[in-house]
Amino acid sequence: MATVRVLGLTKTFAVPEREAGLRAAAVSLFRRTTREVRAVDRISFEIGPGEVVGFLGPNGAGKTTTLKMLSGLLYPSSGEATVLGHVPSRRERDFLRQITFVMGNRNQLQWDLPALDSFELNRAIYRIPREDFTRLRDELIELLEIGDLVRKPVRQLSLGERMKVEIVGSLLHRPRVLFLDEPTIGLDVTMQKRIRSFVAEYNRRYDATVLLTSHYMADVEALCRRVIVIHHGEILFDGELARLGDRFAAWKTIAVDLDDGAGDFSAYGDVVERDAGRVKLRVPREETARVTARLLAEQEVQDLTVEDPPIEDVIEMVFAQEANER
Amino acid sequence: MNAEAGRVRSLLDFYVTRARTQIQVQFQYRAATYFWLIGMLAEPIVYLVVWTTIAEQQGGSVQGITTGEFAAYYIVWTLVRNMNIVFTPYGWEWRIREGQLSAALLRPLHPLHDDIAGFAGWKPVVIALWLPIAAALWVAFDPVLDPTLLEVGVFSLAIWGAYLIRTMFLSTLGMITFWTTRVSAIFELAIAVELLLSGRLVPLPLMPDWAEDVAAVLPFQWSFYFPIVALTGDLSRGELLGGLAAQLLWILALTGLTLLVWRFAIRRYSAVGN
Amino acid sequence: MTALRLAWLYFRIGSMNELQYRANFLIQLLQSAVSVVTALVVLKVVYSYTEALNGWSQPELLVVMGIQILLGGVIRTTIQPNMQRLMEEVRDGKLDFALTKPADAQVLVSVREVRIWRAVDIVAGSVVVAYGVSGLDRSVGAGDALLFAALLLVGAVTIYCFWLVIATLAFWIVDVWQIIELFDGVYHTGRWPVSIYPLWLRIGVTFIVPIAFAITVPAEALTSRLEWSTVALAVGFSAALFVVTRYWWRFGLRRYSGASA
Repeated sequence: MATVRVLGLTKTFAVPEREAGLRAAAVSLFRRTTREVRAVDRISFEIGPGEVVGFLGPNGAGKTTTLKMLSGLLYPSSGEATVLGHVPSRRERDFLRQITFVMGNRNQLQWDLPALDSFELNRAIYRIPREDFTRLRDELIELLEIGDLVRKPVRQLSLGERMKVEIVGSLLHRPRVLFLDEPTIGLDVTMQKRIRSFVAEYNRRYDATVLLTSHYMADVEALCRRVIVIHHGEILFDGELARLGDRFAAWKTIAVDLDDGAGDFSAYGDVVERDAGRVKLRVPREETARVTARLLAEQEVQDLTVEDPPIEDVIEMVFAQEANER
Repeated sequence: MNAEAGRVRSLLDFYVTRARTQIQVQFQYRAATYFWLIGMLAEPIVYLVVWTTIAEQQGGSVQGITTGEFAAYYIVWTLVRNMNIVFTPYGWEWRIREGQLSAALLRPLHPLHDDIAGFAGWKPVVIALWLPIAAALWVAFDPVLDPTLLEVGVFSLAIWGAYLIRTMFLSTLGMITFWTTRVSAIFELAIAVELLLSGRLVPLPLMPDWAEDVAAVLPFQWSFYFPIVALTGDLSRGELLGGLAAQLLWILALTGLTLLVWRFAIRRYSAVGN
Repeated sequence: MTALRLAWLYFRIGSMNELQYRANFLIQLLQSAVSVVTALVVLKVVYSYTEALNGWSQPELLVVMGIQILLGGVIRTTIQPNMQRLMEEVRDGKLDFALTKPADAQVLVSVREVRIWRAVDIVAGSVVVAYGVSGLDRSVGAGDALLFAALLLVGAVTIYCFWLVIATLAFWIVDVWQIIELFDGVYHTGRWPVSIYPLWLRIGVTFIVPIAFAITVPAEALTSRLEWSTVALAVGFSAALFVVTRYWWRFGLRRYSGASA
């Protein structure tokens, strides 16, 4: 049984439109013109238990809106969504008790008190049996190594430390579905890695389903085998991360180390980089084998590697393509 | 049946935990609370002085209320005023703007519980800090106060009734924020009416008759005048218990109203986002 | 004088900024109207039971009330926002921006902020004063009016000094903003003439939180109660406070700059 089932989910907002100037302001008092914005446009997908799925897309693509609809914060305009067998917008207590939504940069713990006190409050809110609560709490504290942080008032913690205690606080009720919205935003590299490995570990230990949105490719690469690429409210790609390149990247990069880097390589492909003894060429995917053979035959090659384009570039290209097509 | 009992038990557990959390937080802000308490005293002291001045000019009492009784009225006022402080519409505005509301909506508990429990937790700290102030006022203004046991009992209940009435009333007003950002206008008007018709600025019997009539159909006097006069006045047994009943009726009515408005408010919030 | 020029400059900028928000003006209008009406109703109720309060007749009480509202408008327009910003900046360590400007620091931190819509209270207060004056037994001469204006100015300066003294405490006590809660409450006492209060309160609102000087004294000028000894005391106290405040400010500033160096 799928944990998350989404069918034709759509969300439109009516955005008031107004031109600048005093006259337009006066007119707008009587007649409000609104523009319909489709934040999410008939998307469909299914996520199974224990999957970690990354939602990729530029700002305003509809990622956060989708997550909000799946957690019950927003009503869909049309379409269906079921999470753990519940309709999220009904906001049933049993449903809310099994999910958690972590928003990067938002504080849900009591500011003036040590995190432990806030954890106690969460225990009462989620009605967690005392023994289970204590056991899970201690496990999570140990996992993220925040033992000395949980006794200090939250306001005294740094941004990264605060994120760690917030995440623990949001998992105390052992939710089966985690919605993580930009969880590593604003954190330094070490902290980001820490959070990533923690989420992976939590997923492994408790078989939780994780839906993650992020700007950082590294988050997605580290955690998600499956990505859903959203742009302008539509799903452009839904599948394994590794296949993303196959689907969208129309080229590969060939890096050659040579004795003599001078000379004209433009016949082989686009020269993207050129160093003393190193040349990087970009060639269409289908040409890779042929160009490689030619290079080896015609040049004094010391070393040759064929690389997939970095995922970031692929994504960027996808969106650029999308933009062009609109 | 068992599930229901379990739910009630965990709700109780939540209230205790939440109130305890608030006490801990509030305790850290004792200094701020003290300054605010002292500043807040000016209003009742001013009116106390004004009315006792008039009373003395008239030979000892105004409309039958003696200077000592005025003193008692306004000193008890300071406690009741503190019990009255609840989450305001401005708080709702802030909470929506800061995204706190989304966080609250994700929890399996109605946000109203959190507000009631949180503010209720605040009260014991305030009461504790208030006691020495009350003692000082007692010495300074020499009130006449001689309550019976029944009056003390009714008073102890009435102050919490006052708290709930005002919570529900302002909560309903606060939810108007979901539809307009100009909630402050409505709030200011409501507060003005409350100031005049609740017994806050002027003890109700001193207001003109028509004002007393209007006040009778509004909830304001039940969150202010009634608790004060339960302790300081000479209400009969019937009036005391009847007052508690009236409070209960208002609590039920306003709670129903709040929950109803909440349902519409959430629908609006979830349709529009923030 | 540079101080006045700076004040005018910030006033212009602040006003231009706020004039954009017409909705705020309407809200302020409503708030002031509600506040004045409530006060008038209370006064009416008080006057249904007595002819005069401690010797002050109804029109005379209106004068006092009007001055309190007017002065309240002045405080909320300029004094309070500036002092609050000062305390916040000291707390957040952002005061340096003000200190590195080529102007006297005290002037700068005192004139930067303007909440122009609060001036509605100044107008409302003036209207109430005028209404009160119109009902007085003895008419007000030009001399009295001038004296009134001068004493009002002196009163405003006194209150400014009080605020600055407290705000300067922020250099030592980070949480001093909490004391400001006190002021709003105590300002309530200014609605009625100080003479009705018991001695301890009278002393408190004259010398500790100097409201009496700012409100009752100008009121006395308009209601022919003024004695020259009072004028001398008011002006003297204000002048002394101004000097002390200046020294206190510079002392705090030196400590602040020394500490962060």
